Amino acid sequence: MLVDNNKIDVVSTRDAFSKLGIGTTLHFAESESEAWSLLQGDNKISPTPKIILIDINENGLSGIDLLHKIRETPDLKSILVFVITNTDNDENKVAALNLNIAGYIRKPIESESNIDFFSILNDYWNIIEFTSEKK
Amino acid sequence: MKESVNNCEEELEALKKEYEEFVYIVSHDIKTPMRAIINITTWIEDDLGSNVDQDILDNFSLLKNRVGRLENMMNALLEISRVSRTNMELYEVNIPKLINDCVEMLDNKSNVEFHMTYHLKEEKCITLGKKLEKVVFSLLDNAIRFHDKEMKNVIIEVSENETDYLISISDDGPGIPEEVQDKIFAIFYTVNSKDVVDTTGAGLTVSNRILKMVGGTLEYVPAIDKGSVFKFNWPKVIRI
Amino acid sequence: MTNRLVNILLVEDDEVDVMNVKRAFAKNNIQNPLFVAGNGVEALEMLNNSIVPLPRIIILDINMPKMNGIEFLRLMREDDKFKNISVFVMTTSNEDSDKIDAYNLNVAGYILKPLSFEKFLSSVATLKNFWQLCEM
Repeated sequence: MLVDNNKIDVVSTRDAFSKLGIGTTLHFAESESEAWSLLQGDNKISPTPKIILIDINENGLSGIDLLHKIRETPDLKSILVFVITNTDNDENKVAALNLNIAGYIRKPIESESNIDFFSILNDYWNIIEFTSEKK
Repeated sequence: MKESVNNCEEELEALKKEYEEFVYIVSHDIKTPMRAIINITTWIEDDLGSNVDQDILDNFSLLKNRVGRLENMMNALLEISRVSRTNMELYEVNIPKLINDCVEMLDNKSNVEFHMTYHLKEEKCITLGKKLEKVVFSLLDNAIRFHDKEMKNVIIEVSENETDYLISISDDGPGIPEEVQDKIFAIFYTVNSKDVVDTTGAGLTVSNRILKMVGGTLEYVPAIDKGSVFKFNWPKVIRI
Repeated sequence: MTNRLVNILLVEDDEVDVMNVKRAFAKNNIQNPLFVAGNGVEALEMLNNSIVPLPRIIILDINMPKMNGIEFLRLMREDDKFKNISVFVMTTSNEDSDKIDAYNLNVAGYILKPLSFEKFLSSVATLKNFWQLCEM
């Protein structure tokens, strides 16, 4: 699942996934509250995603909040979370790292590097094991 | 009387636990030295550089191949011990789709023609999908792997009766010599030397176990003009 | 990780596996300082008494004598000082229970040790790329 409020990022992510042939089911949430409703609320998706990418921008509070909530919920706490950002905000970084995220990653600026970016991430997802049902 | 039943149950539980722990230890503790053998071989090979006798290189690759077999056997043992413990989800499957998925997963299907016939009133059923998939995949894989001709035909037929689905998978390959037909379900048994077809010899054993668990039977019938036919019945209702 | 090389702590009891990681690091030109602990108890001691500089990455085996990887992880996660360390499990255990335990303790990845060194090399190369992508 990708949590990102920027339409263009969503499109480019979808694009990168299809170019790389990443066959995973991809859910999008435009806001933290939408993400929460997909995870735990009325629109709960099943199965629960194994990986979440959260875009945290300048005003990172709600992203960190979401992360907090995920970590405090027994059903969700084992999700692998990657934070993607385009800002230098050490406070967010420290807060996110303290919440045991799998990686704090700078968002690529050009679209070509976007492909490289997701290809590295995808390679990584391919070498790690998930519980029973893959992804 | 009641007490002795309880005792028996407790004992059974204890035995089950012991067995599971045993399998766990075997899987980890034997794999570690096994991996060490392969790794060290690779390092020596690497350190020797390029100026080495071909003989030595050949022996290295034999050594690695055999440890690879050891690992496959280890994994097969683990798989058998886990037949009734993992992938036990009942869910809705579409039988023709499941069979197509199995065909998709095969990695050596060039020059193979698949012929499917279905006589089904209802294609969907709720069953142990992963288990059914495993059986179908193993049989298809065998049909192709042991085939001896350039062009291969594999025939898949599915029908049903009141209680069961009847699935038959046949090929026009070499068939199985009559004198060994009762051995093919034994673990690690292969008709040819493993140097001819490198295989573990566990697919039929695992499939047989699965069928015993769900209450079906797997049997081998020689095809009329050579080739093999494997038939099994898969109960429509599975009680776990 | 950018340009600064972060410290890596390897918690692994098998000597050959330690050599394996070192060799794979060298082959992949990974120059991060690598420290080794033989089991969970030793690793906790190293962390608590600052015997090694605080690592940002821990590579953790699960089956080890004295204190296994999961126990170590549980104790480590209780300590605020070590909260932000990324932990990568590297093990032969393909048990679902170990994977569930590990992910519940928020590891960054659970990697099965492959049988061949070539495959291990490529896994380490992938890890290296991933580490370079991440900021720590």
